[in-house]
Amino acid sequence: MNTVLLGMAILVLGAFLVVRLARLEGRVLSLAAPLAFGATLILLWEVLVVGFAVPMALMPAPSAVAARMAMSSHLLAQDFAQTFLKAVLAGYAIGCGAGFAMALLVDRVPFLRRGLLPIGNLVAALPVVGIAPIMVMWFGFDWQSKAAVVVAMTFFPMLVNTVAGLAAAGSLERDLMRSFAANHRQTLLKLRLPAALPFIFTALKINAPLALIGAIVAEFFGSPTTGMGFRIATEAAKLALDMVWAEIIVAALAGSAFYGLVVLIERAATFWHPSIRS
Amino acid sequence: MQSTRRGLMGGAVALATAGHANAQGLERLNLQLKWVTQAQFAGYYVAQARGFYRAAGLDVRINPGGPDIAPPQVIAGGRADVVVEWMPAALAARERGVPLVNIAQPFKRSGLMLTCRAETGIRTPADLRGRTLGVWFSGNEYPFLAWMARLGLRTDGSAQGVRVLRQGFNVDPLLQRQADCVSTMTYNEYWQVIDGGFRPEQLTVFRYEEQGVATLEDGLYVLESRMADPAFVTRMARFVKASMEGWNWARANVDAAAQIVLDNDLSGAQTIAHQRRMMGEIARLLDAENNGRLAVADFERTVQTLLSSGGASPVISRAPTGAWSHAVMDAIR
Repeated sequence: MNTVLLGMAILVLGAFLVVRLARLEGRVLSLAAPLAFGATLILLWEVLVVGFAVPMALMPAPSAVAARMAMSSHLLAQDFAQTFLKAVLAGYAIGCGAGFAMALLVDRVPFLRRGLLPIGNLVAALPVVGIAPIMVMWFGFDWQSKAAVVVAMTFFPMLVNTVAGLAAAGSLERDLMRSFAANHRQTLLKLRLPAALPFIFTALKINAPLALIGAIVAEFFGSPTTGMGFRIATEAAKLALDMVWAEIIVAALAGSAFYGLVVLIERAATFWHPSIRS
Repeated sequence: MQSTRRGLMGGAVALATAGHANAQGLERLNLQLKWVTQAQFAGYYVAQARGFYRAAGLDVRINPGGPDIAPPQVIAGGRADVVVEWMPAALAARERGVPLVNIAQPFKRSGLMLTCRAETGIRTPADLRGRTLGVWFSGNEYPFLAWMARLGLRTDGSAQGVRVLRQGFNVDPLLQRQADCVSTMTYNEYWQVIDGGFRPEQLTVFRYEEQGVATLEDGLYVLESRMADPAFVTRMARFVKASMEGWNWARANVDAAAQIVLDNDLSGAQTIAHQRRMMGEIARLLDAENNGRLAVADFERTVQTLLSSGGASPVISRAPTGAWSHAVMDAIR
């Protein structure tokens, strides 16, 4: 009963605080309301789990998760390096690069567009849990097979968005380039690619969390004894859910940071686009 | 009016206390298996098919497991009354808030082994140094870690240690030559390697029983809170007695037991040849002497193996108390 009352009190106070803080303006002060909201939720989680003595096998308390993160920080760092720095980054670079290259090819040779776009569609529809074991068989247990899965997942969004972007340059501007006797390469580099940048960055932003998810799920199907997917699967089987949550938090932070980095680069590269200027 | 209400009340009370009695007066029981329907669980299927459970007044629903089904979670969620589980996973669950208690141990010996390709030159455990080994995780890695600790081999992939791969529930790493050795059960994956084209003389096999690091495998576990109810203990006693009758019958009638298992396989993935082989191997692991009564020495050996397996994330951090009980075996009449 006390727990329920305390929980309700936290909820009410937290709501009040968030509403008051939401009125603050400014780049740093505007973060106050979301931070307060997050803090309220975490405090509520802690109170409910501890108050109702929920077993750790069902739901660990945030304090237990934080303690685990501090205790196993070297393991978390190792898993992060294996999954993110090796599999995700390599797969992301190769997948987006291949999608981009294929889009340029499809744009140059319309005959290929009819054949290759449906294949790209098919590859995108393959479920991760189906291709992961096959990639493990082809590329072995280490990060290469996880990168291969990430390539398969990130290829199609990049392809489709780049193809759409290359068609986005206005006809007036394309006519202008033609009147300057610009060849295909000059038109591509000076007009069509810059015009396609917003679309390309959309694909890059979609692919960032997708790559992380793909790498983690692919690790469920065979991995060396390190990596975020490996750790989540084996610790969940041991019912050590505090470690599972610790890995989840690391994955969420990594995914958000990666996405944020892409957004920052987008702001710098497409500063001219109305969505950035406003 | 009065008698109808009294009748309804009586019926409700009877239903609540009788452990879900069904129309034929049999008491309903949900058994959760550790893995998919196969001869590893023949005793229970035989007891159901041959009417041993019915004769004991029980209507047993056998729920097969699988890769994503963890028996401790199933019983914690109230979807099973008794589960088949391996002791390391049960002790880990006990330490983490799901207090399982061992009420019977049908399997006395462990069927876990490491199967290596003889062409790698591995003949003795010392030859494992510097090799790539496939190990199951999700609870099956503890005998392996204890063995490596005993051999003094680090599992960090260094040249003086061993490189460990988390293998899936197949033997592909061995067949594809991505690993020098893989984890197998005597009754299942070893035969998948044979079916995959290897002859027995092309394989070097290490049985965990012979290495002294085996842990107890298929046992029956219930939640500790239910052991306080005498009616539950009696019901479990009838269940265990009928189950052991099923196991004894299966051991004596290997082919027929394999056929019963096949008849219960809804997935259609099993074959009679594989199940007959499996049943033959399982029969060697069963407890013929004590009829399923847990030997405390075996329990202690398992706990010692688990506590000595070390690693960054040990399965249990201290010796368990109250993790087994002979109350059910003693209640068998």
